[in-house]
Amino acid sequence: MPRIHVVTDSGSDLPKSTRGQYNIHVVPLSIQFGEEIYRDGVELSADQFYHRLTESADLPSTCQPSPADFVKCYEEISEPGDQIISVHLSSKLSGTYQSAVLASTMVEDRDIHVIDTKSASLGIGLVVVAVAEAVQNGASVEEAVALAERVIDELKVYFVVDTLEYLRRNGRIGAASALVGSLLNIKPVLTLENGIVTPFDKVRGKAKAVRKIFDILGDYIKARPGQRLRIGLSHGNVLHEAQQLVDRIKSEFAGNDLIVELVGPTIGVHAGPGTIALMWYPM
Amino acid sequence: MRNESEREDKKLQVLNGLDLKRIITVAAQVLDDAKEEVNALNVFPVPDGDTGTNMALTLKSAIRDLDNLDTENISKVAATIARGSLMGARGNSGVILSQYFRGFSDGLANLQTANGPQLARAFDLAAKTTYKAVMKPVEGTMLTVGRAVAEACMKAVEKEDLSPEEVWRIGIEAGAAALNNTPNILPVLKEAGVVDAGGKGLLLALEGAYKALIGEIDLTAEKPAETVGPVQEGITRIAGVLKNKYCTEFLIKGSNLNADQIRQAIESKGDSVLVVGDEQVVKVHIHTDHPGQVLEYCGQLGDLTEIAIDNMKLQNEMITDDKLQQNNNVVSFPLNKVNQTATHNGETKPIGIVAVVPGDGLSEIFTSLGVDYVIHGGQTMNPSTEEIVHAVEQINAEAVIILPNNKNVIFSAQQAKDLCAKRVEVVATRTIPQGIAAMVGFAEHLSLDENLAAMEQELENVRSGEITFAVRSTKAGEIDIEEQDYIGLAEGKIVTAGRSLTAVGLELLDNLVDEDSSLISIYVGDNQDMQAAEEFKALVEEKFDFCEVELYHGGQPLYFYIMSVE
Repeated sequence: MPRIHVVTDSGSDLPKSTRGQYNIHVVPLSIQFGEEIYRDGVELSADQFYHRLTESADLPSTCQPSPADFVKCYEEISEPGDQIISVHLSSKLSGTYQSAVLASTMVEDRDIHVIDTKSASLGIGLVVVAVAEAVQNGASVEEAVALAERVIDELKVYFVVDTLEYLRRNGRIGAASALVGSLLNIKPVLTLENGIVTPFDKVRGKAKAVRKIFDILGDYIKARPGQRLRIGLSHGNVLHEAQQLVDRIKSEFAGNDLIVELVGPTIGVHAGPGTIALMWYPM
Repeated sequence: MRNESEREDKKLQVLNGLDLKRIITVAAQVLDDAKEEVNALNVFPVPDGDTGTNMALTLKSAIRDLDNLDTENISKVAATIARGSLMGARGNSGVILSQYFRGFSDGLANLQTANGPQLARAFDLAAKTTYKAVMKPVEGTMLTVGRAVAEACMKAVEKEDLSPEEVWRIGIEAGAAALNNTPNILPVLKEAGVVDAGGKGLLLALEGAYKALIGEIDLTAEKPAETVGPVQEGITRIAGVLKNKYCTEFLIKGSNLNADQIRQAIESKGDSVLVVGDEQVVKVHIHTDHPGQVLEYCGQLGDLTEIAIDNMKLQNEMITDDKLQQNNNVVSFPLNKVNQTATHNGETKPIGIVAVVPGDGLSEIFTSLGVDYVIHGGQTMNPSTEEIVHAVEQINAEAVIILPNNKNVIFSAQQAKDLCAKRVEVVATRTIPQGIAAMVGFAEHLSLDENLAAMEQELENVRSGEITFAVRSTKAGEIDIEEQDYIGLAEGKIVTAGRSLTAVGLELLDNLVDEDSSLISIYVGDNQDMQAAEEFKALVEEKFDFCEVELYHGGQPLYFYIMSVE
């Protein structure tokens, strides 16, 4: 009997346990520090990455997987006749989706569906989990893909970065460029609109910014009584700040599904340390 | 001085335009001479009482256009005075004075000359117009003095036919009584042991005019000095970068002053140094890049007055512009700053922003937040309505938002709103922290109405504190204040005072911080060094360890720290 496989990339920031639970395969992007290149999650862990980021003078960059990397993955995990759902980073932020689409035309005897989540970090992760869970519960590929489209449509992503420098230097700043150059320590509250980084609000001070994204979630929940959410919280190596947010979510909005993970190297290169991101969709 | 018989002959039965021009010009001179006396009547012991300066400058602007107006028609002269004062109105007292002239002018409308009863009616309408101009009229102020003048005059002309002179005399007698009574009406005045400054200014002007009317003071040939003087010969020849670009002039008043010592002390700060005078008064003139340092030093020796700082570089640029040179009436504000990056792409922006800001550091902060035009001023120098109108006109935008950033500028800003062709809105920011909060709430991609709502909203989320020093000993509520004490103001109210800047600073923050606070910002004034400020910051971080603390160079005069808590 043909099986359905779920693939994503290292920009999805899913915890190892979640990947194991739903049998999710990850194709890594590469992180380049100077002359050295590491595959995300294979040769470079998130912890190592943040350590390296503060130690190293080199500003890292990312490199999308080649189509051949995807072909190799698709062929390794599946038998001829199997179906694959490949769920990826916003095509506006990375060429990863393009590589996967190309690869899907190069592999024979597999039915491959490549999905652009228009998101990043656990924003991708939440779509992947929705798809993998549906597959585990016996959904068809068509049903799982339709679900992915619904989730992408309803997905909310809000995040705070310590500095816009990383987004700017890597050319991922999008419409938030207007916020660069202020003499004050302005913390932008950012969102993703159509897969592009977009300013949502700006406040002074990190604490206020984090409170702001929590309030946005709170307003969303209050407007939909009884609606269960799947919530993702990813952070750029600021466990203490993240834990405070986790505690508040668990105490004030109990009963929702919550996934917490470090922002990995792939997204960390662009967002920088100190980032806090909150994303969710109605289950 | 004329002799008695001459005076009897000349006793006027009617007042014409030339008379009004003459007496108002004298009134402007009298008020200008006495402005420091009025400044000293500030109910707060803070070092920037400037009611006298504001009113004197407003009156100076009122007579600006009279020079070329030689008409006997009193309504034309009165209208010219009203328009001039409206444009030049500075501070709340100046705005109210300008409204007084507006009412006075309305009262004389269509008259060639004014007799006693007609003059009384003009005083009456003048007083009524000031009451209409303020949203919540407060008694015991300039309003009360104006009303007392009006009521006395109206009552007097009801009974008998009086000459303008007699009406004017009755008016100022009643005004003087009302002024002396202001401490009995307003407890803050009594507490500070002063009469109302605005009322005093109005009375001084009316008295000055009366003295001119009865021939006690003659119009001197000398004209009041212009704020921006003519550019000296030498300056236009300087090409390229002008070193020591601020022409700085002021008087030091004190005792045991030594001109030679002062000269030696400031010589290294610039060139064209001129220090002359005696032990009581010394005049200082210097071209320098650090006017603040010179003022700071000399301020320790005595009281500084008649401070004028002109940017010669900008004057130079303006004077070489032919178009400007042809127009003698061009108004220039050399210290103000247009945000070039924001306005120079030639496109009309949907929304432009004007902010009134003191200090170089704060100006840069506002500019970096997207303000298009910074008017240099604030607590120590209230910009005139005209200056604000000028700023609005400089911005290539469909609509303009004004941030007054000071309670004493809000009124002029609102007055400017009515004088501009484009849509102008005032977000009534009363402090610098409120202005910064409003700018953080501003987003270019939102509509004007959305922005106004967002900016107003931000004002509620920030608390403002300021630290300055007391210029005299007094009592503010329960707090005893000694001269030269540091005083801490929370939302404009004195909450603490003492000998230690650090202790006053921490105590002030105690009044502003609560358990929801997460950010304390400290803007350091030009009278405080950054090293000491860094040490203060460390103490603040220790005491309020649940808050982020940010320190910035503000450069504002007289206020050691401006702080915000949010």
